[in-house]
Amino acid sequence: MTSLDAIREVVRAASAAPIVASLGHPAYDLYAAGDRPSNFYTWGSMGLASSIGLGLAVAQPHLRVYVIDGDGSLLMNLGSLATIGWTRPANLVLVVLDNEQYGTTGGQDTATAHGADLAGAASAMGFAAAVAVQSADALSRMLDRTAREPGPWMIVAKVGAAAPTAKPPLDCVFIKQRFMAAIGCAEPATAGAGHDED
Amino acid sequence: MNSDRQPPAWAAGVCTGLHAAGSRHVLYVPDNPLSHVLAILHETFRDVKTMIATREEEAFGIAAGLYLGGARPTVMLQSSGLGNSLNALTSLLLPYQIPVLVIVSMRGDAGEWNAAQVPMGRAVAPICEAIGLSPATAETPETTEALVQLVGRTAFSTRRPGICRLPRRLTAPAARPKPPA
Repeated sequence: MTSLDAIREVVRAASAAPIVASLGHPAYDLYAAGDRPSNFYTWGSMGLASSIGLGLAVAQPHLRVYVIDGDGSLLMNLGSLATIGWTRPANLVLVVLDNEQYGTTGGQDTATAHGADLAGAASAMGFAAAVAVQSADALSRMLDRTAREPGPWMIVAKVGAAAPTAKPPLDCVFIKQRFMAAIGCAEPATAGAGHDED
Repeated sequence: MNSDRQPPAWAAGVCTGLHAAGSRHVLYVPDNPLSHVLAILHETFRDVKTMIATREEEAFGIAAGLYLGGARPTVMLQSSGLGNSLNALTSLLLPYQIPVLVIVSMRGDAGEWNAAQVPMGRAVAPICEAIGLSPATAETPETTEALVQLVGRTAFSTRRPGICRLPRRLTAPAARPKPPA
């Protein structure tokens, strides 16, 4: 399975639900799979996609929140697994596209190419479920389970290396405002509006 | 901390101020003075959820997600953790215009005894200025509540992180550098 194959399964399972994508290939492939307002594309802050997803899942417990992370990105912020395992948001689904390399920067090996087990780490940190899948069919079946069984979930999708074909919008504020409106948390039209509401 | 004593007025001011700014979520990496703030939040502000992060950058990531979900988050950290936070501040919060109220418990300023705290403590203001943020400083217990509220409201209105420093002369006035033996 390619990264794009895996992301197409996530988009299908998410329907209109929010998807937070790590920078680089995960965000590029999420855009290539079909732009949607409830996609939050990060352009920096490597490692923080799962943390952004955790905050969103806590703020909006009625929404199922999907995160598309990379193996290299998640390895920068493994502490996030401990925090998620502790707070246990039932509505968080963390999908890790594991190509065993830093794909956006030239294909250097990550530790998962040498035995690091991210699903095992998530399980040890208290995730409700953590599995690794090798095929798009297996990923699809597992994503269907996330709709019925409470999380936090981690699904590690073992993917082959492939070059992305598109890049998402570059305007960070546009991405944010479109995203917040799509999930029912629209910012006021002008900064400062709502200042006196509390 | 001296948990048997009356909670310090500056700590109560931080709690009342962040609550008045509309914040109901506090992400933090713990620190001795901040433990007073947490004790008051847990005791008195039951509608405020607190969550501990494993490092400061993670706290800012969680805060960004909370904001995307409609909340007004606060991050509390020791000044030593500002360096850990810079990638989140400069490549997520600032470009996406995501506001957070930031409470920085200072080390390395007047009254410090630990040399390892001094370089970062001295660098807090210039680093903040270098990324376009101007930290405020709570000078007295009596003015802390109003300042924290103002910094928070300004942050959420203008969609930029708002930083309020709590100097050691405020949070640990009894502490004195030890003379050499």
